[in-house]
Amino acid sequence: MTPAERVGAALSGARTDRRPFALTLSLYGSRLLGRGASGYYSDPAVYASGQRSVVDLCGPDIVFGPFAFALEAEAFGAVAERPPRSPPTVRRPAYGSPEDAEAVAPPDVEADPRLRYLVESVRAVAEDQRGRRPVAAPIVAPCDLPVLLLGMEAWIETILFEPRLAEAWWRVAAGHFAALGSAYFAAGASVLVMPVMLANPAILQPEMAERLVLPQLSEALSRLPGPVIFHHGGNRVAPQAGRFASLPNVGGLLVDERDSLAAVRRAVGPSVPILGNISGPHFSSRTAEDLSSRAERLINDREDDPRFILASSGADVPYETDPRTLVSVRRAMEELG
Amino acid sequence: MRDNKIGMRTSTAESDTVRLLYRYIIEAKRYDARRLLRDEVERSGYDETLQGVLEPTLSMIGERWAVDCISLAQGFVAGKVAEDFLDIREKPASGSARDASVRSDASQAYDASQASGIPRRIAVLGNVEDDFHSLGRSLVVSFLRLEGWTVVDLGNDVPAGAFADAAADSGASVIGASAMMLATARRAYDIRQELVRKGLSDSVMLALGGAAFSMKPELAGELGGDGTARNALEAPALFERLRLRSGRLATGPSR
Ligand code: B12
Repeated sequence: MTPAERVGAALSGARTDRRPFALTLSLYGSRLLGRGASGYYSDPAVYASGQRSVVDLCGPDIVFGPFAFALEAEAFGAVAERPPRSPPTVRRPAYGSPEDAEAVAPPDVEADPRLRYLVESVRAVAEDQRGRRPVAAPIVAPCDLPVLLLGMEAWIETILFEPRLAEAWWRVAAGHFAALGSAYFAAGASVLVMPVMLANPAILQPEMAERLVLPQLSEALSRLPGPVIFHHGGNRVAPQAGRFASLPNVGGLLVDERDSLAAVRRAVGPSVPILGNISGPHFSSRTAEDLSSRAERLINDREDDPRFILASSGADVPYETDPRTLVSVRRAMEELG
Repeated sequence: MRDNKIGMRTSTAESDTVRLLYRYIIEAKRYDARRLLRDEVERSGYDETLQGVLEPTLSMIGERWAVDCISLAQGFVAGKVAEDFLDIREKPASGSARDASVRSDASQAYDASQASGIPRRIAVLGNVEDDFHSLGRSLVVSFLRLEGWTVVDLGNDVPAGAFADAAADSGASVIGASAMMLATARRAYDIRQELVRKGLSDSVMLALGGAAFSMKPELAGELGGDGTARNALEAPALFERLRLRSGRLATGPSR
């Protein structure tokens, strides 16, 4: 089976020769190229060669486009920092006040150099793979984009206390999300990965999320021409997994390391694919033995669950991670079958 | 009676007012919460309201936050309500002599503590260099102020040296540094080194917090921190422990 066939079979609940696995090694490609992260996040050819190195090292069944959310913010005018060993981060949000909503000019996906970089990187990775591996493109959820444009405090305050202003930000965020998401699919992405923070019960309690976020998120998702993996965003999702899986175009759920896979499966029913759940950011502080035994435990736990893909959760695997730990996950997956 | 400080109290009988305030915060009804507190201050005074209503409510919220039953948004509303309450003290609606003259119990407590060699409740807060995620810090600042701390808030992107200088200048016993990303969290170690270099390690304790430390609590110790707290409502209790520790260290083992 090719990785694409393996992933396709798992998603449809069919038998596979072995379990597919996916590791968030977007950043790690820069380490394998023996260079810092900064140039990596501006040149699609460099990015794609980093992903080739990732495939050579540990052969994951899914490859990623750039996981660099600050670039979406930069396209709106935010000032971003480009640290040498981690993805870009926002230094200064683009807008000073929620009142600026009406003045926001959404960037053009084809013209803006940051967005072009993101889309062209996905295209370059997809061209390299020629259908052999599915390409997943990370995208900022429309409920979270205003956090990058305004700051967390201002956006939470707007959602809670300024519904009229919030509406204006939703329009901006949903329009951008649909445009960038569509461009990713057109460039060859098989699926989008959308971390969702502002609907997570750790950030906003379910009744409020239901009222203030999910209707708008649902509307934005329905504008996409393809499927989305709903990503837990660094917090547990099990209590709301059923609700999140029911949103339009959600084709799977990536869950937190602290989530019980059995509980998530009960919540979403048998037909929704589940991915997870070894924490990506913890890879650098765990040994190869620890990681392969975690992989083994997860595979055994999901023995009778065909729609399960072993994956790292949370953010990128850190730059400092020893490549041997990644190889150990690949070996474990091959041996476990 | 100061045993009902936020983050320290265990549940006691809850009054109707406490229950109502709790509900307003949980339902994000900030303005109703503010009105309730203002009425209560009119009726029974600032300190009574702080100790009898706001602190017990916040400690209920803190207890539930610690077991993940409270969302960040609700913690955020609690922080706003704490700020609103401090505002009521600054600008009492009635301008009554009582409101204007009452000094918080906390401020009297730290005057007394100073006489006993325990440092005053002064803290320096900031986000570490290259970190711009202010929300966690702002919440910590609000809850510390409510507990009578004088806070020197240095804002975002603060170089290690500036933390140490501000602590020395203000006589702070605790520095609180916040960081969201693992990459920036490492800057906390520079603050420790600055404290050592300036000979302040015994008199100034270093509290570390933010998403990076919630994700890996062991990181706080590894980077030279003296303690961490998972959420902002737990911060005042941590700062209080550290303040007492700095007093013990500064005055030697016999105290
Ligand atoms: C919301 C969120 C986002 C939002 C934006 C957040 C923002 N403020 O800008 C969005 C979706 C845009 C986002 C993007 C990214 N994120 Co993010 N994000 C989060 C999330 C879910 C919450 C962070 C947050 O703002 N919390 C709210 C604040 C108030 O909480 P807090 O900082 O923890 O503070 C509390 C306590 O810690 C404490 N506290 C705070 N300071 C202090 C100080 C002291 C002294 C004390 C005692 C206590 C204390 O009190 C506060 C209130 O209770 C976390 C995951 C998580 N579970 O925390 C990931 C997380 C921080 N993100 C992460 C990453 C990697 C990113 C990206 C780099 C992803 C990418 N590759 O593009 C981008 C960078 C964007 C940027 N900032 O430029 C990682 C970081 C991992 C790492 N290795 O460092 C995390 C941990 C997710 C994960 N588990 O993988 N993110």
